Amino acid sequence: MSDLKILAVDDSPTMRRIIVNTLKKAGYEDVIEASDGKDALAKLKVEEVGMVITDWNMPEMDGLTFVTNLRSTPKYAKMPILMVTTRSVKDDIVEALKAGVNNYIVKPFTPATLKQKIDEVLAG
Amino acid sequence: MPDSTVLIKEIEPVIKDLAEGINNIVGQLKQLQSPLSESQSKVPKATEQLDKISEQTEQATHQMLDQIEKIIEREQEVSEGLKTIKENAVAGDISNVPALADTLVGKADESCNDAFDIMNVLQFQDITSQQINHAASLLEEIETKLHEIIEILPGGLDQPSMEIIESARKSRVYDPHADMTNKKTEQDEVDSLFAQKESQ
Repeated sequence: MSDLKILAVDDSPTMRRIIVNTLKKAGYEDVIEASDGKDALAKLKVEEVGMVITDWNMPEMDGLTFVTNLRSTPKYAKMPILMVTTRSVKDDIVEALKAGVNNYIVKPFTPATLKQKIDEVLAG
Repeated sequence: MPDSTVLIKEIEPVIKDLAEGINNIVGQLKQLQSPLSESQSKVPKATEQLDKISEQTEQATHQMLDQIEKIIEREQEVSEGLKTIKENAVAGDISNVPALADTLVGKADESCNDAFDIMNVLQFQDITSQQINHAASLLEEIETKLHEIIEILPGGLDQPSMEIIESARKSRVYDPHADMTNKKTEQDEVDSLFAQKESQ
């Protein structure tokens, strides 16, 4: 089991439950949740997190704005960030790369892909 | 017989009115053309999204039912196996218990994996919800265009203003390309883009 605390950000409660359960099965028991970028920033003020998994399309603050926001904060400049989204158009992926995500998963994903990408991101 | 000059003078304002009326109608028809053609182009898109939702929901449901049927069948075998262990234990014969217990553990693990597969398929809820939001937003755009048409038409119906209609609308966030189909190709493209970035 890993000690890593992961923040899962998605506006869909169903997706959050799926991600949390998949993470737990993969050995990541310590997971906190947020429903959008704004909520995630609020959670980060009170929680020490080792990795962020975020969706793109969300109300209030979307995933891309959230990532850009994180990267502009020195404390989170090197935070491992994995984006999990339905967006699979090349321009979107390039935009996410520019914003500073470390890796990217297209929904629907398999648990194996999620585990593999987390391992890759953490390996740096 | 009336004098033709008098007749022309009498007809002239009528013809002018008629010409003006025709010009107005042509103007109104031109104004209608844009919202009508925009509405028309949105209907097939909304229909396509709704068809996709129905198709992908059915597909996901079948995948889940397949897994559930496997779990039910396996659980019946586990139940029978446990009954056998109990009967053997009562009879004082535990020689086959370790092997049978190993088999049952294997079946329980398989059922756990199948349950995870079901959970994985449930991602369709997020994806179809985005497809529904896309279809709903197309229908709202059509509603806006129909509102414009009614306003252009003479003697248009009494209707609430567009501001009132729009203020009652839900805010919608969605990816218009959200799809439940296998994303291996797309994921490979993503991986290739990230690999290129790393090699730079």
